[in-house]
Amino acid sequence: MSETVLQAETGRRAGSSDARRLRADGKIPAVVYGHGMDPLPVSVDRRELRHALSGAAGMNTILDLTVDGTVYPSLIKDIQRHPVKRSVQHVDFIQVNLNEEIVVSIPIHLEGEAKDVSANGGLVDLAMQELQVRTTPRNIPDGVTIDVSEMTMDSVIRVEDIPLPSGVVAEADADAPVVTVLTMRTPVLDAEELAAEEAAAATAEGEDGEGAEAAPSADSDGE
Amino acid sequence: MLMPRKVAHRKHHRGRTKGLTKGGSGLNFGEYGIQALEPGWLTARQIEAARIAMTRSIKRGGKVWINVFPDKPVTKKPAETRMGSGKGNPEFWVAVVKPGRTLFELSYPNEDLAKEALNKAIQKLPIKARIITREEEI
Repeated sequence: MSETVLQAETGRRAGSSDARRLRADGKIPAVVYGHGMDPLPVSVDRRELRHALSGAAGMNTILDLTVDGTVYPSLIKDIQRHPVKRSVQHVDFIQVNLNEEIVVSIPIHLEGEAKDVSANGGLVDLAMQELQVRTTPRNIPDGVTIDVSEMTMDSVIRVEDIPLPSGVVAEADADAPVVTVLTMRTPVLDAEELAAEEAAAATAEGEDGEGAEAAPSADSDGE
Repeated sequence: MLMPRKVAHRKHHRGRTKGLTKGGSGLNFGEYGIQALEPGWLTARQIEAARIAMTRSIKRGGKVWINVFPDKPVTKKPAETRMGSGKGNPEFWVAVVKPGRTLFELSYPNEDLAKEALNKAIQKLPIKARIITREEEI
């Protein structure tokens, strides 16, 4: 688990217009809190933050957040993004004690090819993208890799089956499925079914302005 | 076709669509998704046409999620009718979409085929939209 230094500046003014000006200058408004400290509004440089989070640990990188000479060991608690541009609008840093256990989400990666599943027309499906684990900040794994090459059509990999490093405990239910196999419908349609589906698609495509014949008929409770 | 089973009020006001989506802008289930870039109304038929285009394109081995639901009834007066005599009859259902909303999500092992399927679905929509993936930069 890496620790990266990130400089933050205090003295930013609150409000949307000031935040917008900060973002235009290549900075991101942020806040630091946790462990009894009063929330401290700061700003960080966008390029420095991107560089700090580009390591293997990604979003779980321990940051030595330096604010006016004081170092706060922190993790990223939340990132707000613009709904369309997806650019980072605001970051929440949470101060952590490096010897105290915390709950974090780590990414799950799949490796290998489930030949038995693909031969039978199934699909390996990742039921959870991230796994919540309890551990100390220095022990946070970069991710979990699950080998799916031995999976068959009726196999399920559960939380209890995932090997975790010592000192790392999964928070989710031991029975919770992580990787499952989806059985796909047969792609071969008979001629009648195919014709019906094509007719439905054709009416759906030529929809605008001719929706009169399909008047909605939801029951009304209120009127 | 998607429509509510039961509604509190049969006829709605048209409403206005201002601003960006408040939520539902990221991916929750699949690896890829379609994100709206404009505000608009998606009819149940358009949603269904997009879904069919996508599922036809991927043929098998994928999973599709529809993240919007057409819960707003739209009324129309019959053709060549004089004005007045009350609001028209409910004719179809729409989902109100604001920019940024994720409309569909798709999970599929092959990225190129998945994007091709999503592009075919975008062709069926009345608004500008784009493909999004899970990889996001700071």
